[in-house]
Amino acid sequence: MTELITIPGRWEFDYTYFAGEAASRFFGELKDNRRIMGVCCPSCKRVLVPARSFCDVCFQRTEDWVEVGPEGVVETFTILTATFAGMPKPPVVIAYVTFDGADTALLNVVTGLDLSNISDAADRLQARPRVRACFVDEPQGRITDFMFTLF
Amino acid sequence: MSARVGIIGIGQTPYKRAHPELSSAELIWAAVDEALRDANVDIDAIDVIIAGVAPDALSGENGVEKTAVLGSGKPFLRVNTGGATGSSATFAAADYVASGRAKMALVVGVERMGQATSSQNVFNTVFDPIYEKDFPLTTITMAALRASMSMRVYGYTSRDWAEIAARNHRNALRNPLAHLKLDVTVEDIMNSPLLAWPIHRYEACPMSEGACAMVLAAGDVVGSRSVAWIQGLSSMTDSYAMGDRINRPAGSLVDLLTLELSARRAYADAGITDPRRQVDVIELYSPFSSAEAMTYPALGMCAPEDGPRFVQEQLDDVSLPVFNPSGGPQAANPVSATGMVRIAECALQVRGLAGERQVPDVVRAVATGQGGATQFSTVCVLGAESPE
Repeated sequence: MTELITIPGRWEFDYTYFAGEAASRFFGELKDNRRIMGVCCPSCKRVLVPARSFCDVCFQRTEDWVEVGPEGVVETFTILTATFAGMPKPPVVIAYVTFDGADTALLNVVTGLDLSNISDAADRLQARPRVRACFVDEPQGRITDFMFTLF
Repeated sequence: MSARVGIIGIGQTPYKRAHPELSSAELIWAAVDEALRDANVDIDAIDVIIAGVAPDALSGENGVEKTAVLGSGKPFLRVNTGGATGSSATFAAADYVASGRAKMALVVGVERMGQATSSQNVFNTVFDPIYEKDFPLTTITMAALRASMSMRVYGYTSRDWAEIAARNHRNALRNPLAHLKLDVTVEDIMNSPLLAWPIHRYEACPMSEGACAMVLAAGDVVGSRSVAWIQGLSSMTDSYAMGDRINRPAGSLVDLLTLELSARRAYADAGITDPRRQVDVIELYSPFSSAEAMTYPALGMCAPEDGPRFVQEQLDDVSLPVFNPSGGPQAANPVSATGMVRIAECALQVRGLAGERQVPDVVRAVATGQGGATQFSTVCVLGAESPE
């Protein structure tokens, strides 16, 4: 019987992601003005949040920028409860929230919730609670400049 | 005017956590060789080769198929639509044959993720790097976000997810190719570790390796071979952004709109007007039991609000189609191949070659594929009768 050989491997590449025009302005608004901005599709009239340069349903360039939030409602969520390589230490809550004035929902982390009992926390989040965008002390112009906080 | 297309050859390796005894090329070769033998053709009869491989980082090899199938001097292309990769590759092969560009096409899907040691970290890279990748978004948390919304909107319970998972695991016990062969009860599943609320470990697919290959042939070269005819197929895309689908009036995040539209088109092509009665087998690409429930209304099994009731109905009503006779992706989910495995299982069932898990008298079977954040959907109808 031939001894089966395994060869160690590792992929380690660094990247610089180009956020583009719309996201750069969206992130600039987070950093400089601590506000959440959406864009309006001239065709379907939806306010798209987070902002993007065009509506991929109507194939139209977006035009008007509008401020939304900072409050909104939890649409759906999950509580990460297991440990996976490369992922943050559980428990972590992430949720899609529709900001007041927006037609689409945005993903971010939810804080301000007692996670000592996962089932109770889930019940609370299933009731579509209202949340507020809470900014970090020194925004960097990233989606992680804010998180959702229950109140 | 398009040619009739039939599946005349199928080859599959067993699906398991890893095949350390085989190189990637050997893994592909095993499935391809078996498919060619099943079709009773040699490689010279093949006019085009199509490979399906989802993220390269799962194997840590770019173009994992390159050392296996390129020596034969054929037109070649490669497809990646996430979890729908295998079905999309099969559709591309079917289109080559239907259009007359090929008499026979070889399609192969290969998953080599047994070489990965941090697959959820790799899966995080399939999400948008600008707005989403910073969060612990993975295939599991993505499914969990939808499962919790299904519970809120339609009233599914944790027990529903476990009931579906129990049936899939039970079916897998009769499938020698399945990765997981878990003899587990509904209670065992509900008591398995919580990965991301509300999803428990036994409601989620495993990380599986393996390869699946098929030979598709035009009607005029099928001859006397055992064949499963493609009676209808359709695929459709959706917006990638899950957040954009949450407030949609039709087809919200938990209503699989593009699967529904794909099914409607494929059923029409196949002459299906009552899928509950005219389909014998349904193989679903549902890597989570909660994702399976979302397919029921989309495939015409019930109204959306009756989904929770249908969970019990499909267990009790023997006149309904048999779901996932193979055990489905919860028993084995070789990501790049899995969409093709669904079609292969349906073809085996139609050809009467499914062994111990054979469903009696299969006239028609339906296979689905879903990829990414379900921005890709495919539906394929296979049957014993040749389309007109």
